This record gives sequence, C-alpha cells and structure tokens, in this order.
Amino acid sequence: MSSNRRNDPRAQVGASLAERPAETRSRPESGPGALQQHIGFKDKLVAGFLHHQMVAVETLLQLLAHPASSLMTWLVIAIAVTLPGALWMSVSNVEQLSGSIRESGRITLYLNDTASNEQGRQLAATLERLETIDEVIFISHEQALENFRRTSGMADALDLLPGNPLPVTLVVQPASSLDATSIRSLSERLREYPDVAAAQLDMAWLERLRAWLVLVQRMVWVLGGLLALAILLVVGNTIRLAIAARVDEIRVSKLVGATNAWVRRPFLYTGLWYGLVGGLMAWLMLIVLWLLLKQPAADLASRYGSGFELAALEPAAAMVLLIGSMLLGWAGAWWSVSHHLDEIEP
Amino acid sequence: MSMVRFDQVAKRYSGGKEALAGVSFELERGEMAFLTGHSGAGKSTLLKLMMLMERPSRGQIFVDGQNLNRLTPSQIPYHRRKIGVVFQNHQLLFDRTVYDNVALPLLIAGYNHMDCARRVRAALDSVGLLGLEGRKPVELSGGEQQRVGIARAVVNKPALLLADEPTGNLDPDLSEEIMDLFMRFQQVGVTVLIATHDISLIESMNKRRLILEHGMILEDRHVF
Repeated sequence: MSSNRRNDPRAQVGASLAERPAETRSRPESGPGALQQHIGFKDKLVAGFLHHQMVAVETLLQLLAHPASSLMTWLVIAIAVTLPGALWMSVSNVEQLSGSIRESGRITLYLNDTASNEQGRQLAATLERLETIDEVIFISHEQALENFRRTSGMADALDLLPGNPLPVTLVVQPASSLDATSIRSLSERLREYPDVAAAQLDMAWLERLRAWLVLVQRMVWVLGGLLALAILLVVGNTIRLAIAARVDEIRVSKLVGATNAWVRRPFLYTGLWYGLVGGLMAWLMLIVLWLLLKQPAADLASRYGSGFELAALEPAAAMVLLIGSMLLGWAGAWWSVSHHLDEIEP
Repeated sequence: MSMVRFDQVAKRYSGGKEALAGVSFELERGEMAFLTGHSGAGKSTLLKLMMLMERPSRGQIFVDGQNLNRLTPSQIPYHRRKIGVVFQNHQLLFDRTVYDNVALPLLIAGYNHMDCARRVRAALDSVGLLGLEGRKPVELSGGEQQRVGIARAVVNKPALLLADEPTGNLDPDLSEEIMDLFMRFQQVGVTVLIATHDISLIESMNKRRLILEHGMILEDRHVF
C-alpha cells in the first residue's frame, strides 16, 4: 500500500521534529523514528494550566449535556445547603430582633407581711407618678392567694394554714426608654421603699430567648454538619458512578502514561461544579424564601407595633455557603476518587 | 547499551502460578523481534513487566538503561510514556473520535494543541489513515481500528514499541499489512517487540524470534 507513502515526507514518523529544534532533543543512535520530544518546565506549566482550563470547561459541558441527572444532584446539594442557610437566616433575624427589643424586664415588688392592701394601693399610686415607671399592677393579699391556689396545686395545704401568708405584690413596668442598667438601678431604688420587702427584676424571658438562640445556633451547626456529610456522600456516590462508567478510559490513559493527578482531575472538577452550581441554586432558593416571607413577617411585626423587617442573608454569609458548597463537592469527589481510582490499574 | 535487557526474570502470581521462570535476553536499539509461544507461555506477562503493569518476583529488567525495579509508583507514568503499546483488542475509546484516541498520549504528556494536531496527523498518515480523524472507531473496519491503535502507540515517538497479538483478530492479508507497518517503524529506528502466536505470518519475515515455553526461553533464533 505504501512505497509512495513512505517517500512522502509527512509519512516519516520523525519528520516533524526538524521544525522545532528548541523543544527537541535528538538521539542520533536511535534514528529519527525513536525521537522523543523533550518538554521544558515552562511548557509543562503552560500545558498543565491549559489542561486544567480544558478539563474545567469539558466537565461543565458534560454535566450540562445530561441535564436531568445533573439537575438531580444539583437539587439535592441545593436543598442540603438551603436548610442550614434558612435556619441561619432566621437565627440572625431573631438575634437582631432581640437586640432591638427594649430591655424591659418587669420588676416585682413584694411588700412586708404587715403591709395592708390599702398601703399597697397607696404605694402603687405613688410609684405610677414616677417618670421612670409606665405602669404598676396591684395584687392584693387575696388575689395573690387565689393566684397561688390556682397555679401551685397546693390548695389543700393552703387551707390548713391559719392565715394568708402571701404579701401584697406590685408588678412594675419600667418606662420603655430605660435600658437594662437603668432598670437594674430602678429596681435597687424601689427596694429602699419602706414597705417593700423584696424586689425581683424579671428579665428571665429575655435570657430564655438568648438561651433558645444559643440552642438553635448549635442546632444549625449540627444540622449543617450532617447535611455537609450528606453532600459529601451524594457527590461521592455520583463520582463513583462516573468513574465506573469510564473505567476503560482510565485504564487506557494510565497505560499511555497518565499520572494519577491527570486521571483524577476531571472528577475533581466535576465535584467542584456540582458544589458550585448546587450552592448557587441554594442561594437562589434562599432569596426566593426571603421574598416569600418578607411581607408576612412585616405584617406580623406590625401587629406587635414593631417596624421589624426580615433581613436577607448577608452577601458574606452567602459567599460562605457558596464556597463551602464548592469545597464539599470537591471533597466528595476527592474522597470517592481516592477510594476507587487506585483500584483501576491496567 | 541495549534497549531492553531481561536478567533472570521470574514472575509468580499470587495464585501460585509461575508465568516466567528465569528469562534472560537483550534487545538492541532498533532491533525487531517476535515473541512466540503457546498461549499461557508467558508472552503477555513479559510485556506487562516491561510496562510495569506487573512487577517481577525475581530478577531485573532494564528498559533504555533504566532498572525498572528502581522506579517508584509515581515514576511509572513517565516510564510508560517512553513505550508505545499495541493491544490485540486495540483498547480504543469508542465514544471518542479517531483524533481524540490518537491524541490521548500527547494530551497526557502535555503537548499544546498545535503540536498535538500536527503529530496526530503525522501518526495517522504513517498508518495510512489520514482523513479519518473525525470518525468514531466503530465506523472503521477491524484492520483500520488496529491501525488507529498503532497510530496512538507511535504518536509520542517512543523508542520502544510493544505489541501484544496485534493481528489476533485480523485475516491474513490485513495481518501482513499490519506487520508491514511495524517493519516500517523499525526502519526509522524504533525497537519493536511483537508477541504473536501466528507462526506462519512471521516465518516469512526473517526476524529474530524468542520462543517462550513454560515461562522459559526455549529458543532464541537470531537472524543475521
């Protein structure tokens, strides 16, 4: 077939070598056919960069070529990122809300045992005239006993007592302009009043809210950790299937001199794309969620006379989610690749 | 310095089967030789050892002066780039074009696209398949597929070309063409070692023959 082809200069296996002497290293003892091109470090660096670029684009195109299956994985990742993201958003909103709430603890004043209902009423009237106090609720001996009977469940025991042991009680609502320290000093001053036996500052509900917030924040971390693990497993499994589908290619590539890094590269990029697109979709979902909840939340707040507005996820937090999602995709791919790729040897 | 040197090489697989039992031979640079013997005589094992797909249980192998026992796993890919291999089932990627198949070793070695295109065309030309770059392997005949496999093996201009039953699935005419190709590569200086059981085909070719039996070299028939 080929004596004329043999004379064709293009047919000579080593013919093209003469064109680029700078890159080539001739080995005269081997003849032209045995020449191997020597590639310099800079060329290798450029080629490596180009290969990264090429693999990045190719893997994305490959994912887009199978939109149905890719979308499934993307949605799973998006939902897994959205859940902790939404919780995070709510927590930071409640945090902001609780910060803006006036630190209005109520002060409960217990009067001396000897103080009568009438003395209590007088004190209440005096206190109500103070600028630092909005409102005073008066609770008489009898009312206190009745409240206690109702709430304690010890009605029978109370009947055994000779008299009414409960003091007159005043519940003081400080002015809304007061901050936490002023309320505390007000509470101190009220204790000095002659008929007052004890003053109890009740900021417990605010502290309870804080405790709840800490708990929920902890839950966000735990949930986030679990869902991160889920992303790792989902991406890992998807990459495992991708590896299984390309066993031949991997084997042939290794036979013609592919390094493990070279074989790994497309799978790592695939994981990165899963994470990035999943993260972007999660971001989108969080924005939609915010848009959906914004109006109802404002309505609810206005019922409480508050001008509270639901804040969207800050860009910095969104970036954290996005980068986290990308890293998880990459790590899932890495985990899968390091488990399954080394098993494939030619 | 010889291109390939086997020094008392033995290979025992983990199952206990002894594939090679002390094989020694040398291949000079630019030499072409056939490796024959019954199936199971150790031909494939011998080629696999050169590719470091397997490690010898005993003995030493030198390829291009490099003692293969001294190569670490991370050095294996670079060793393989120096060797072109042709398989009986040609190991082509059927979801890729002919061009992509032949270009694979170049991409792996880090050639740029222009060099790559030029070398792929040269390699395809040397096996007489210029113009088929855009085809899928499945559209080609068995002989053409094997020639794509050969083009892929030589595209990186290796100093050593190994072939494992390259004509196993081909009819005699096509087999002769393939052997013709290998001879042409030898003529431009490539060292060629071909494992085959097709005695009738190589009888006429007047090349050195290494005959393996029960893991030993039964006969080393030099041709002068």
